[in-house]
Amino acid sequence: MFSELSHSSRQGSCSLLCRPGSEDQDPSVFDRVQPAYSPCAERFRLGERSFNRQYAHIYATRLMQMSPLLTERAQQKWGADVPIKKLCDLQMGEQCCIVGTLFKHMDLQPSILKEISEEHNLLPQPPRTKYISQSDELILEDELQRIKLEGNIDVDKFVTGSVIAIYGAEKNDGKFTVEDFCTADLPPQAPRTPISSDRFVLLVSGLGLGGSHADSMLALQLLVDMVTGQLGDQGEQSGAATISRVLLAGNLLSQTTQDKDASTKAKYLTKKTQAGTVDAVRLLDELLMQLVASVPVDVMPGQYDPTNYTLPQQPLHRCMLPLSSSYPTLQLASNPHQASIDGVRFLGTSGQNVLDIQRYSGMDSHLDILENTLRLRHLAPTAPDTLGCYPFYLKDPFILEECPHVYFSGNAPSYQSKHITGADGQDVLLVAIPEFSSTQTACLVNLRTLECEPIRFSSFSAGDDEESEMNISH
Amino acid sequence: MEFKRRNGGPPMGGASQAKRGKTAGDWEDSPSIFEEELAQFEEADMEAEDREGQAGHDVIPVGDLFSADLNPRWRRPQATPLNPDSDTLIFQQIDLDYYLGSAVAGMPGQTHGNVPIIRMFGVTDSGNSVCCHVHGFAPYFYVPAPNGFTSGHLSEFKRELNSAVLKDMRSNKDNISVTVLAVDITRKESMYGYHGKQIADFLRITMAMPRLIAPAKRLLELGFKFGTFSTQQYSSYEANIDFEIRFMVDSGVVGCCWIELPKGKYRVREERSTEETDHCYPGKVSLCQYELDVGWTQLISHPAEGEYQRIAPLRVLSFDIECAGRKGIFPEADKDPVIQIASMVQRQGEKEPFIRTIFTLQSCASIVGSQVLCFTKESQLLQSWAEFLRTVDADIVTGYNIQNFDLPYLLNRAATLKVKLFPYLGRVRGIVSVLRESNFQSKQMGRRENKILNMEGRVQFDLLQVLLRDYKLRSYTLNAVSFHFLQEQKEDVQHSIITDLQNGNEQTRRRLAVYCLKDAYLPLRLLQKLMCIINYMEMARVTGVPLTYLLSRGQQIKVVSQLLRQAMKQGLVMPVVKPAAGEDYTGATVIEPEKGYYSIPIATLDFSSLYPSIMMAHNLCYTTLLQKGSAEKLGLGPEDFIKTPTGDQFVKSSVRKGLLPDILEDLLSARKRAKAELKKETDPFKKQVLDGRQLALKISANSVYGFTGAQVGKLPCLEISQSVTGFGRQMIEQTKQLVETKYTISNGYQADAKVIYGDTDSVMVKLGVDTVSKAMEVGREAAEYVSAHFTPPIKLEFEKVYYPYLLINKKRYAGLYFSSSADTHDKMDCKGIETVRRDNCTLVANLINTCLQTILIDRDPQGAVAHAKEVISDLLCNRIDISQLVITKELTRTAQEYAGKQAHVELAERMKKRDAGSAPQLGDRVPYVIIKAAKGVAAYMKSEDPIYVLENNIPIDTQYYLEQQLSKPLLRIFEPILGESKAESVLLKGDHTRCKTVLTSRVGGLMAFATKKSTCIGCRAVLKNEAAVCDFCKKKESELYQKEIFHLSTLEERFSRLWTQCQRCQGSLHEDVLCTSRDCPIFYMRKKVQKDLDDQEKLVSRFGW
Repeated sequence: MFSELSHSSRQGSCSLLCRPGSEDQDPSVFDRVQPAYSPCAERFRLGERSFNRQYAHIYATRLMQMSPLLTERAQQKWGADVPIKKLCDLQMGEQCCIVGTLFKHMDLQPSILKEISEEHNLLPQPPRTKYISQSDELILEDELQRIKLEGNIDVDKFVTGSVIAIYGAEKNDGKFTVEDFCTADLPPQAPRTPISSDRFVLLVSGLGLGGSHADSMLALQLLVDMVTGQLGDQGEQSGAATISRVLLAGNLLSQTTQDKDASTKAKYLTKKTQAGTVDAVRLLDELLMQLVASVPVDVMPGQYDPTNYTLPQQPLHRCMLPLSSSYPTLQLASNPHQASIDGVRFLGTSGQNVLDIQRYSGMDSHLDILENTLRLRHLAPTAPDTLGCYPFYLKDPFILEECPHVYFSGNAPSYQSKHITGADGQDVLLVAIPEFSSTQTACLVNLRTLECEPIRFSSFSAGDDEESEMNISH
Repeated sequence: MEFKRRNGGPPMGGASQAKRGKTAGDWEDSPSIFEEELAQFEEADMEAEDREGQAGHDVIPVGDLFSADLNPRWRRPQATPLNPDSDTLIFQQIDLDYYLGSAVAGMPGQTHGNVPIIRMFGVTDSGNSVCCHVHGFAPYFYVPAPNGFTSGHLSEFKRELNSAVLKDMRSNKDNISVTVLAVDITRKESMYGYHGKQIADFLRITMAMPRLIAPAKRLLELGFKFGTFSTQQYSSYEANIDFEIRFMVDSGVVGCCWIELPKGKYRVREERSTEETDHCYPGKVSLCQYELDVGWTQLISHPAEGEYQRIAPLRVLSFDIECAGRKGIFPEADKDPVIQIASMVQRQGEKEPFIRTIFTLQSCASIVGSQVLCFTKESQLLQSWAEFLRTVDADIVTGYNIQNFDLPYLLNRAATLKVKLFPYLGRVRGIVSVLRESNFQSKQMGRRENKILNMEGRVQFDLLQVLLRDYKLRSYTLNAVSFHFLQEQKEDVQHSIITDLQNGNEQTRRRLAVYCLKDAYLPLRLLQKLMCIINYMEMARVTGVPLTYLLSRGQQIKVVSQLLRQAMKQGLVMPVVKPAAGEDYTGATVIEPEKGYYSIPIATLDFSSLYPSIMMAHNLCYTTLLQKGSAEKLGLGPEDFIKTPTGDQFVKSSVRKGLLPDILEDLLSARKRAKAELKKETDPFKKQVLDGRQLALKISANSVYGFTGAQVGKLPCLEISQSVTGFGRQMIEQTKQLVETKYTISNGYQADAKVIYGDTDSVMVKLGVDTVSKAMEVGREAAEYVSAHFTPPIKLEFEKVYYPYLLINKKRYAGLYFSSSADTHDKMDCKGIETVRRDNCTLVANLINTCLQTILIDRDPQGAVAHAKEVISDLLCNRIDISQLVITKELTRTAQEYAGKQAHVELAERMKKRDAGSAPQLGDRVPYVIIKAAKGVAAYMKSEDPIYVLENNIPIDTQYYLEQQLSKPLLRIFEPILGESKAESVLLKGDHTRCKTVLTSRVGGLMAFATKKSTCIGCRAVLKNEAAVCDFCKKKESELYQKEIFHLSTLEERFSRLWTQCQRCQGSLHEDVLCTSRDCPIFYMRKKVQKDLDDQEKLVSRFGW
């Protein structure tokens, strides 16, 4: 649709084949649209942090906050008089509903205990892409007790940390036979303010700076040139002017900048060395400077970026970006990030939550996982179990209190998007933003229609001779 | 199972290997699912219930000791009535003792007064309990008859001795009138020394009671006059034999054997009320289902062979108690209540316990798979548990440290609360269980203060005691042990938290109950995994002593029992010798090692069962020992005796076959049989029995030599033990010489063979061949060749090839072990190297182990050096996990008793002052680290509790760890590779030792007066403000920040992984982790990461957000 737009404008004034613009000719200047923007990610900002607490609180808060929601859902689903019980009051054979946190017992789950056990240091656990196995078991835990689940519940679909309601009865072998279950489902959604013209937000993730993808660097420069209007004819330039904002969803740096050895290597060998990210960060600064001079940019950190490890990841530090950080258009955001752009609520992460669920469940599609977390009404159920997370106390910022209009996650293997609608008329655009360094693909979200399309910055390669002109394809 | 000698002496031949129940990568059940496990038991039980039918309700007499009829599953299966005239009763005897009681009509033996009666307890095949009174056996001993003694003097001797013994008694409260029952003349021969088969007259003196033997012996030894004979000192024989052993030897009963009572030969005791009591026909006195009387000559004891190798369905009860202690004080029985008792009962041979109960004080939420019994009064709880124990009628009572904690605590608590019916824990109705203290001292275990509680008929099998005896471990807490053997962690709840949980609600008590049940369950799992019960039973059968002796007595009694059995067959008697400290003798020989790193295969030739085979080959025994000069006296020619390398003389087997060789032959041939059967057997349970048996036989064979060398033993004989080692030395030398002269280039071999090292029973030969398979081939040939030069059954065997081989010093070497295949190594073998020693910190073991692996498996000596340097650097930079620096030592005595001041003792004292409750007790292992202190502070004052160190940021004395702990072992293994002078300069000096991290303590000394100033993160210049970097470093801020933030993110990852692991282990998401298990590798780590993370967070926040 972005290209259509440029197409139509082409007919009007000029085409690609027109004479090069001369000095005397009025250079056409396109003013970039300025959307109303308000970041609303305060709950992901932490300020002073303390690690003297344990993880029990976050689970307890999560359960406490979510159980009224689930009780309501359960009553909607199984009737207002469905008995909702605590596990300790459970009577053998009685049909009832229980609200609790799921725990998935997994044999293949990597265990730090095994890793550091002196007797087992000879056998490193093989790295796996998935840790699920036939012997996995689901256990439901309420405030006090646990019970093993069986029956009509697909073990592979669930992950530890999800709060759900189950319906069924305890059988005499101490297991709970599930007949049905329900989740909290989509939270309420604020209506969107209608916009008259097309405006776009460009979503990019996984730039992978400092990596070895030479062709992705060229594609990246193409992307920057396109956005900043250095590319194409006036039609395309005017199209670029409708990109009101760029959102970089994590992994600005490549995984190769992570010098894992540095933490294990002896200090005397690393004293003089610098972090592996230094060069890549310098590159990032230069790249961002090009962008922010022309367009507002939201920069979210990701798994491989120089900030803290646990979610929520805090914004990159300004001192690392001396060139670009002087521009007011640079918005250093947290991960997860939430912002309202022209009244459209964006919420998403750089992808860690989705990748973690992918490892610990049978689900593979990033889009399915995204939808799943939305239905669970929780951004990152596997935090803190397998996903690093700050030990929150008395709050769980990952519970979705408000339904976003655009719900995204970064660093997906390929582009995917779809709309889902909720029971109360919520309309959500789900976007799995592909990793740019491997796919050279970004995506554009139209704020007016909430539609999304990928744009690919293909580079010269033997395979696509015809498309050898650097184009925006989809 | 590691073989232990009670007394010192040189190491044994064919040293047995420590057997460890470890499975690699076998993590079948994760700890978090213990509750689910419990739930699953229930499922299995449902099926079992149907099979079992209705467990007996009646029949079992329920006396005063039982108040209510509880769970029917608790009872033993119903016993079918027994008709002595037509039924033969067969049972497996598991405990045996004696008591003094009045004679029973129709039974042999003395009829008036109190007589000793042997009592056997056991179980039949159908799982019914048996108590068998054996009558008519009386204690006796021998003295040599004086010259001119005839049968006519017998009555006079008897009368005189009787009156002498009576006079000797200080008080005669039992009103004994007859002390000496009989004196007979028998033809016997002393076991000690060869004296030409002169059978002499011995007086066999039978006493009325076992305790009368000692005074009679003493009186006779001091000098005794009777009739016309002048005062004479009599040396006594076999007067120091336990009555039980005496009976077992004479009746052919061995420990845990099957006993048959033929029909018509025994009498059944019936249940009788007190009014009907008849002295001559007593009623039942025990709680057993069958109670019988039998004459001692009537019972048949089956040797443990064939079908009698089986094991009856014994009931093994494991339990654990929880007490609500006060804050900071270890629970005291007179003040702190018992709040929970968890019990699990399992039938021997079955996989899972069939009874699981938890007795709780106050309500407790239900636990699936376990029976929860709640009580409001503690006294009721205790009484009911005692009833439970009696109803279940356990044969074996086990648990972790029950002997010194749980049982004494229960007993003292019951006494405090005046629960009168509690302390009847044995199987005999009228006998109260009482507590006694005992000191057990042995060379390898130090002094142990043990508490002993009598429980007639039940075998107390405290797992902790078993592990202390048989396994060398770094830590003996249940958690550490479970982790070691089962790879399973358990939550460790501190005493103070227990009280909080108890004072909470029924849910918190339930949490405690699950924890308590697990503590009762783990000992059963461990017993099964380590096959303790089976191995101990086989040991009891092989050596012929009661099962209980194996845990309460030393090694000697086992040899005595075998010696007596053999002596009886040959009409020999064993003298009583006074213990005397003798001079030491030379130990085994060691061929001076040629230290170095050998990158070619080294073949190892071993003498199999060296010491036993020497004794057999040369007929070394008490009975064959020739005193100096007696060869001429007895007219023996030079062909009749041998002269050992130490100059002692023994007659050849053609003159007389020795007892010890006989015993050894029996043991070794039995072991061969057991091994052959083991190969054929397919049933895993029977396989276990056979394996336990062959192991027991091997250990027994080796302990015979140790017995002869035990200076304070029952029958030490220096001539034998020094001759044995003498032969050993000679054989090692001879082997060296034979190998080196045959395998030479001049004889057509590839290279000149060289023996590079030899020790006790093995020689290491450098054959000069370059492949393992060739080394194996030549090794085998050489073993055969050398064997031909020795008297059978001495045999040199080719066992293994080491390739490569690192020979550090005497008894210190390491190598890759090739035995089963020439292509792949079986294991890495390390001897005498710090990988296994316990008094080092784990850092040493881990470092040495990794270095050896790099050297031997990767064959990368340079890589090993680099690794060692890195670890040293980490140590100096405070990056080593503190758990690796913890040194543990056992607190065996109180501070006053130690001669010198010792680090762990001092620490225990200091901790007692800080908090008496958590301070280590006598017998505990004390963990500590060495901290930095001012110059001149004694080393023993520098010990500190690791947790205290972590919490207060106290700096570790890294120099101590480097110099005192790491340097020596490291130099040792690297010297053969790098050369003596170079090793030190490469490893202990250089760049890697110059980067250090210095911590500042939060406590003590000057810290109260110090003000902290922040320094530039880049250049350490002191800053005036709280900024991160100085003006000079400002341009590098980005780089500095990235370095620090990277460190922070690494720590965060660790933090989240460690703490979620603990959540999984404790099995709850919504509750805080309470575990304080110091043996868990995570414990210190998670604490440290918490602190490091907070520090790093503070540092990073100086950059501002």
